[in-house]
Amino acid sequence: MKCANGIDARQVNELFINVDPIQAGGRLTADAIKAIIAYGDGYSVCDNCRKPNRLDCITKPPIAEFHKEVAAWLGMDDARMMPGARRAFQAVAHTYVNKGDPVLLTSLSHYTEFLAVEEAGGVACEIPADANHIVTPEATAAKIDEVKKKYGKAPVLAFIDHVDYQYGNLHDVKAIAKVAHEHDIPVLYNGAYTVGIMPVDGKSSAVDFVVGSGHKSMASPAPSGVLAVTAERAKEVFRTTQIEGDVTKRRFGVKEPEMMGCTLMGATIVGMMASFPHVKERVKHFDRELENNKIVLEALLSIDGTKILSEYPRKHTLTRVDTTASFDTVAESHKKKGFYFASALNDKGIFGIIPGATRVWKFNTYGATQAQARYLAEAFVAVAQENGLRVKS
Amino acid sequence: MEYYNILSGDILSKRAVDMVFQATYTLTDIRMILRETAPLHKLDEKQKAEAVRLLENLERQVGSLKQEILK
Repeated sequence: MKCANGIDARQVNELFINVDPIQAGGRLTADAIKAIIAYGDGYSVCDNCRKPNRLDCITKPPIAEFHKEVAAWLGMDDARMMPGARRAFQAVAHTYVNKGDPVLLTSLSHYTEFLAVEEAGGVACEIPADANHIVTPEATAAKIDEVKKKYGKAPVLAFIDHVDYQYGNLHDVKAIAKVAHEHDIPVLYNGAYTVGIMPVDGKSSAVDFVVGSGHKSMASPAPSGVLAVTAERAKEVFRTTQIEGDVTKRRFGVKEPEMMGCTLMGATIVGMMASFPHVKERVKHFDRELENNKIVLEALLSIDGTKILSEYPRKHTLTRVDTTASFDTVAESHKKKGFYFASALNDKGIFGIIPGATRVWKFNTYGATQAQARYLAEAFVAVAQENGLRVKS
Repeated sequence: MEYYNILSGDILSKRAVDMVFQATYTLTDIRMILRETAPLHKLDEKQKAEAVRLLENLERQVGSLKQEILK
């Protein structure tokens, strides 16, 4: 079925249980789909844009109120919606990092954090994760000392992921931020996998910036995200334009250079707004998500040779597994080679495992109902049994 | 030249436009049931009752739309 010329109508979430690690938390709520239907036209939220003519000041629809609510919900003083978490990294890096400045990242940081540092001219200094793939405050302190010795100054900024994209492990941002602040290093909390998934409070974590991803974790269309900041940092990152044209003498009022004026217009911002009440509610029930994740993991662990590479018991639903000694042993002799695994799951109505992956792969059960989690667990076991793998009873 | 209050429905049917949106929203709610029950789409009693309610609403909304747009 086509939705337009040459474009298939995407029905992945209607026909399959979708466990794609980056898609699970971004599936839209019914309210977001309805809002997008109404506001799909380009500049649709600008019908009532009045002075001071900036997106976050529009009161109809209540975008201004939404910005205040999001900032308060994250325990911060001010917020701007962004076209993705990556644009928030970019805005912060561009504000604080100058050419040659060392910047703290981690060995599990997302590539967009590196790109933000690169674009600003900074130098990437990674805090190594430990053998359990956890970034610790001790390793942070050691890395800061190392950077100070090498560059003669402390890092100018630290990007710390609360939950990393590789293992879905939870890192102690609060303790890491405490260490960084002892050296006057501002801390950016990367909540791409937490904001909208589990409770996040920037104030109690004592961070300077909280970044979230709308399309990854806030049931919102892409590209969307949030940058929430303390009052002190708002003056810096959300500074207003000072430029003036030399011929026309034009100035541009309250436009913010790091935001390039207005950020999310139309469908993306109303999608975020429409999902927000549901997102606020769902973070209170993250324990249910972990219970569903456990159902699936126990089934996977019942298949001889399967290992969980993420920390266990799980603190997040994004999980990395190693099936080299289980599903991968079938790949060599199977007529579909490594593609048999994703293909067999697809046949059972499961989507999101990378085709061809049978050794190390990731999945995310976030948003699955309990019935779907049970179905998923049974499907993994069934694929194992159908291919002659031993399953513990 | 005569002037009309568009939103009161003088020159076009605001009701027809409302019905288009409402029917689309009802279909969206049905779509969510399909998402929640994927991949087998075996609805439990509560989901079936909700689907029946939505489908009845949809029939009413499409009926009203037909009436408005063809008058």
